[in-house]
Amino acid sequence: MRVAYAGTVREGRVVDARESGLSRADAVGAIRGEPTAIAVEAPDPGPAHEWLGDIHPEMCVSVRQGLTAAARSRGRTATQDDRIAETESALAELTVPEVSTRTARVDVAERTNEVDHLDERVAELRGRVRALRARNVETDEAEAELAAAMRDLTEAETELIAARERHDAATEAARAARDARERRMELEDRLANLRRAARDDLTDETADEYRDAVEAAPWPTPTDPFEAGAVTVALAAARVADLQAPVVLSVDRFADPTTAADWIDAEVFRL
Amino acid sequence: MLLVVTYSRAARQTLRNACEAHQETVVRRFGRAALFEETEFGAFLALRLRAEYGVDVQVERTAPLNEFEAVPDGVRAAAQSYADREHASTPYAKFASGDDHPDPAVMKDREL
Repeated sequence: MRVAYAGTVREGRVVDARESGLSRADAVGAIRGEPTAIAVEAPDPGPAHEWLGDIHPEMCVSVRQGLTAAARSRGRTATQDDRIAETESALAELTVPEVSTRTARVDVAERTNEVDHLDERVAELRGRVRALRARNVETDEAEAELAAAMRDLTEAETELIAARERHDAATEAARAARDARERRMELEDRLANLRRAARDDLTDETADEYRDAVEAAPWPTPTDPFEAGAVTVALAAARVADLQAPVVLSVDRFADPTTAADWIDAEVFRL
Repeated sequence: MLLVVTYSRAARQTLRNACEAHQETVVRRFGRAALFEETEFGAFLALRLRAEYGVDVQVERTAPLNEFEAVPDGVRAAAQSYADREHASTPYAKFASGDDHPDPAVMKDREL
């Protein structure tokens, strides 16, 4: 690799930049092709770099993730891969319509209120006309008001029927849209199961090599390698892996960066 | 729609068979339950299950809920605010006591 920063250029299989004050994020970003304060020329990282390319004390990686990444870096495939790809493309092609019945629900509620309100008004005006007639008083004005209210009521009732029809149509459309949602959920479940099975298989395939790697570690490790902490997991998985791009290393597990590079069998950018 | 819930293995199996055979009448399937279209045929399927398995088959008639028609403003507002709450771990009873939201016990006593 060739590393350039702040006027300094370093080259080699191992670059020890512990004294440089460079940030891990910049180093990792540069290796992954992002513009940062550092320029790194090195082979492009594969997908395993995401799990094993940045080894530091606070990292999080499970044995399964680490070994899956390691197995993939060596070109291993899982029997589930074809079905995973099929399921992924089925998901990508699936269109899930956004159908909300909210507007229709609000509309029906408002129009129902309007009808109820006009209904009361008509009843009230009828009562008034009746009372006026009983007292032999002039009813023309009250009757005109009643007629107007009745017209409004009829109109509101018609609108309510139309609103209910729109609501029914929207509900029907939402139901059809749920078919697509259900299908999406099925596909997502299937994909998760396939990915899990693939990880299990790839982990099983590399488990023995992983065990050997943990045993070969020059630092104390637990008896059960599957109980190891994330740093041990990452280093052992990195040793199992075939990593092209440099590993950014920020842990003190080796005598020196060259020993680390030999042990992992990868280029090491020590920070 | 018609909600059919089964309460025995035999009834569940017959429901599954019915769903397989009459997909056009099935709106949704959930394990041991299914929603049928509210048609005469949907009712027929539900009733034949009930005829065969009696109380092991529950049949309900469902309707969409329009909260703007059927649910008081305060309850709707409470649901919205609770969904938007800041701390996911706050139980509703505690959430409601601080604000002007309806008390859960009070809501439980009120029919829609």
